[in-house]
Amino acid sequence: MKILRSKLAIIIFLGVAVLFFTNDFGLIDIEKTAIITAVAIDKEADDYKVSVEVAVPEATDTNAENQRALISGSGKTVGGALKDIGDETGWFPKLSFCNLIIIGNGFENENVIKVLDYFAKTMQIQDSATVVYSEKTGEDLLKATSPLDNISSFALQKILLKSTGFDNDVITTDIRSFCANYYSPHSSSIMPIVKIIEQRADVDKAQEGGANGSSTSQGGSSKSSASGKTVFNASTSALFKNGIKVGELDKDLTFAYNLLNRSVERSTIKVDDVDGINHLLTVVSNKPTIKLTATDTDLKLSINLDLYCRLSDLNSVNSDSTFAENKPLSDKLIEATKTKLEKDIGDLVLTEMQTGCDILKVKDLLYRFNYKHYHTYKDNYLSKLNFDVSVAVSGQK
Amino acid sequence: MQFQLKTRQVCLFFIAFLPIIKLFSLPSVIADVAREDMWISTLINVLLDLFTLIVLIFTCKKCKTDFYGLLELNFGKVGSKIILGIYFITFMVKGFIPVMEQKSFIELALYETLPNFFNFMPFFVVCFYLCLKKLRVLGRIADVFFVCTALGLILLFALSLPNCDFTAILPVGARGSVNHLKGSYYSFNWFGDAMYLMFFIGQFEYKKKDGLKIVLSFVIPSLAVILFMIMFYGIFTSIAYRQFFALTEISKYTVIINNIGRFDYFAILFLLASNCFALSLPLYFATTILNKICAFNKRWISALIVTLTYVAVLLIFEQFSATITSTISYYFNTLFFITANVFPVCTALLNKGVKNENLAV
Amino acid sequence: MNISKKLKTNVEYLKKKLRSDDVEFLDITVKDVPVTLIFLKDVADKEALGELVLKPLSNMTAAPEKNSLENLFLSPEKTVVKNMEELVSQIVLGDTAFLCEGLDFSYTFGLKKFEKRPISEPPTSAVIKGPREGFVESLPVNISLMRRRIKSPDLIFENLTVGRYSKTPVSLCYIDGIAKKSLVNSLKKKLQSISIDAVLDSSYVEKFLGEHKTSIFKQVGNTEKPDILSAKILEGRVAIFVDGSPIVLTVPYLLMEDFQSPSDYYNSSYSATIARVLRLLSVSISLLLPSLFVAAELFHLQLIPLSFLLTIVNSIKGIPLSPSYEMFFTLLIFEILNEASVRMPKYVGMVVSIVGGLVLGETAVNAGIISAPTLMIVAFSGICLFTVPELEQILSLIRLVLLIIGGSFGGYGIIMAICFIAIYLVSFENYKTPLMAPFSPLVTPDLKDGIYKGFLIEQRKRPLSLKNANVRRMGQNGKRS
Repeated sequence: MKILRSKLAIIIFLGVAVLFFTNDFGLIDIEKTAIITAVAIDKEADDYKVSVEVAVPEATDTNAENQRALISGSGKTVGGALKDIGDETGWFPKLSFCNLIIIGNGFENENVIKVLDYFAKTMQIQDSATVVYSEKTGEDLLKATSPLDNISSFALQKILLKSTGFDNDVITTDIRSFCANYYSPHSSSIMPIVKIIEQRADVDKAQEGGANGSSTSQGGSSKSSASGKTVFNASTSALFKNGIKVGELDKDLTFAYNLLNRSVERSTIKVDDVDGINHLLTVVSNKPTIKLTATDTDLKLSINLDLYCRLSDLNSVNSDSTFAENKPLSDKLIEATKTKLEKDIGDLVLTEMQTGCDILKVKDLLYRFNYKHYHTYKDNYLSKLNFDVSVAVSGQK
Repeated sequence: MQFQLKTRQVCLFFIAFLPIIKLFSLPSVIADVAREDMWISTLINVLLDLFTLIVLIFTCKKCKTDFYGLLELNFGKVGSKIILGIYFITFMVKGFIPVMEQKSFIELALYETLPNFFNFMPFFVVCFYLCLKKLRVLGRIADVFFVCTALGLILLFALSLPNCDFTAILPVGARGSVNHLKGSYYSFNWFGDAMYLMFFIGQFEYKKKDGLKIVLSFVIPSLAVILFMIMFYGIFTSIAYRQFFALTEISKYTVIINNIGRFDYFAILFLLASNCFALSLPLYFATTILNKICAFNKRWISALIVTLTYVAVLLIFEQFSATITSTISYYFNTLFFITANVFPVCTALLNKGVKNENLAV
Repeated sequence: MNISKKLKTNVEYLKKKLRSDDVEFLDITVKDVPVTLIFLKDVADKEALGELVLKPLSNMTAAPEKNSLENLFLSPEKTVVKNMEELVSQIVLGDTAFLCEGLDFSYTFGLKKFEKRPISEPPTSAVIKGPREGFVESLPVNISLMRRRIKSPDLIFENLTVGRYSKTPVSLCYIDGIAKKSLVNSLKKKLQSISIDAVLDSSYVEKFLGEHKTSIFKQVGNTEKPDILSAKILEGRVAIFVDGSPIVLTVPYLLMEDFQSPSDYYNSSYSATIARVLRLLSVSISLLLPSLFVAAELFHLQLIPLSFLLTIVNSIKGIPLSPSYEMFFTLLIFEILNEASVRMPKYVGMVVSIVGGLVLGETAVNAGIISAPTLMIVAFSGICLFTVPELEQILSLIRLVLLIIGGSFGGYGIIMAICFIAIYLVSFENYKTPLMAPFSPLVTPDLKDGIYKGFLIEQRKRPLSLKNANVRRMGQNGKRS
């Protein structure tokens, strides 16, 4: 038995060693792997045009930055278009590092879930990838050269994921939350709209030293620009009902949405012309409460927001020795802030009622906390909705 | 009587191996039926198992022989072999879905470039090796690997918690008791862990308050499973039923992953290590039972038969795996219920091989 | 054969048995009675022989006979031998034999003098703080080092001889009342049953003491330091001294022992705990890092953060070898360098290290044969391995196996390999002591000297994992009651 056991062990070990040394079991070489950092999807007639940005590493000894290649393929499905890319380039498209999905042109009246579902269902991509809506074509967005990073998807992510930074005026939506909202009873989703803004000449000059324009053309579609000329803006948002775009939120309403949905610590609020002085407030904390009260006759949405702010800047001519941060907020300033935010939040609710896109998830509130009345209001809750908004602003006294 | 296990090892056995196999595809299976009430379906199964466990603790307390001896004394040699045969089938079938889902998990979620059968083969090597060992070794493994399970779960919960909306499970009970029971019924395959205690009868020395310890060690991981179900639904809400491998899905939305990569894989790797043993349990007990039925001189013969059967089924019938899985889910749950809950409860009524045998009616 | 009263017969027999040129047969006459002294001339302490044996003989006033000789010799080590075979073996052990006409027995005197190395700090267990004495190759010296530390009548040495030709003195050492009697008896039986030509080092004996002959894991502990050995036998272990070896074996062995350094017991428990955690971490890194890296490169790219992945892809551009080959050969080079630097003379060894480590590595990376991350991983893994030097050989073997499994089956294969090793280790017992204790089976009180090094005062009991005869080692709070 012992001899048999050692013979078996030797055979197994030899088998494993052969497997190890031959390496011939369908492995895909890391160098043949296309590390896709962003995918942009545009609709062209009946086909989907999928453009992918591939990170192309440069040798470390030259200390150069990583380059990128922009490749496009098309097909009747997103998966088909990606296969098309693989067929044409010989690269194995690796989506696990793709952190950005851009919905581009041609989706104005089309259900975007048709394309996003592919990413939600495959195990090859993280469904934590951010989803954005492009003002132009998705390919344009990826082609744009930004001084922020020579891989434009990285530059874009700097704008989109700045929630970890200093400002929170951008909505962050990932595949999971978009799909979860789509498949929930309210079927309403939201995603940021990314706009390309031509960079001003003076900023451009200042950036010239930093961004040495090392972008080179590789792959299918490529860029010709030598230096960064554009920046991105994502402070407006697109509203989707049943996967179809039904409206947009401007910058103020987007911020109001963020105020009600997540912590916007260190975001800024501009309050202009209070006694002729323009103010910039920094949010220290925001505590939103959204409550839905349903009775047999009435459906009331109460939105309360407690905001604690600090003064960041003001364009006063009367200078004093106090730091702006320590300056107390005047009653007038508090009142003006409160009025502005109450108006913005009110407009947000009105937009929701007009577009039918339930971004505040009123239907969820109805289902979860007022289940008794759910069946009464589930089909007409937005038209029956009354609301009141109350914002309490406080600051340094 | 020579005891193979310590009470501590029985307790750690439940902590180490009870929760893990329930964290893969089970959440999506229950979510498909019970949606936001998926935790209620889980709770029903946990309570059922808890009841079985409590009854079995009383059986452990009064028995003066092991489970096999108990069967032989009460049902005779032939009767005990028939019962053991049923349990052999139960274990062989019960292990199939978790092993299959583990195989899919390895191929789809863990490996990007190579979905290959060979990648899963090492599991069977480990499984075969474990099947050769005595129950004492299983206890000792529980001693070590409960740390892996605990660490993995804590890390997973810590990473998932910030993205969880606990209100998603409201309103409680809205899906109706039919759906709750359906959710429970379809998940029998993954539950029924209390049954293992039946095989530990007479293998550990029962002392005062041991029952409480065992109950606690069963309740704590069960609560962790329920919490996992709640968090899973809190994160995925309406698309929870589409998340086939809850384990890798639940924790990947944390900010830390943006900064340092898939940190959550540490938790997953810890849990996979413990899961290897949890998956092997049905095969281990099937081996033991086969050995008892056929009275082989060498345990490796029964271990080889059990393991090779699994390898062959996975190799030959791989394309029918979906059919096999659904067949087991729909037709074998009654068997699982009987063997994992009904019969163990009935062991309390057995009157031979118990300490106060003379008093028993 | 019994010793005859006729000296001539005895001497002839001995001359037949002891044919070597270094055996001296010194024939003298004391008061007309012929006497022969037999000894190994390069081993016997001639000065002592003269003073303690020959001088009293020359001062004799009457002819030597049984009664007059009884209290004559001044040698402290004197035995009476009546059997010829026994006498032969005493002589080859270095004793001096005294045969006298008319006496049917012989006296043997333990007057041997071997050259020995002075006591010095063992190179494998150097400490910054703590005793620096180490065992030497001489058994009596080693025993004296132990006696100096434990001045108790319960410290028992039981002497045996092992080796058909070498007749190596082996000594079992334990504390009566602490060590389990069954363990002592079982060891004694094992030692007595050893049939081998020669025992040249304690490692020869080690091979016979293990219960699992083919296991790659250690089954017997060892130490070169008397302070550590004292602590070990006070915990209930039994030590085996082998003459000619500075390494003393201890049984039973727990895997955790090798993670415990001598310095842990002389430093604060905080720093000892941190050091042990570091050792455990280092061992995990050294075992798993190369295989995980290869598995990640081949199978699980998604586990690598993007920025790191880009760096890796940068560095492997143009490398002719696949990641698994590259790692395998780099490890192989590392092992060759390690082997060469150990075997080479000290100063040449340094040159090999420099040439191998710096020149070869740097050139290989620059030439594009191996990538910088691979080289770094192998180097780091190698350094980590030496944090537990006692396990270095076993760990490097496991590392290689894990690498092959990682390169063939990926991360899941590595997890399964770890599970396999875990099953093997937890089921491993030697002298009824589980190798993985106190972790598996969990022995909670022993965890105070596990990864966590508790305060000395907390460790009131000897390790329960060793199943001692006497558990308590300290009074309440370490004070006399």
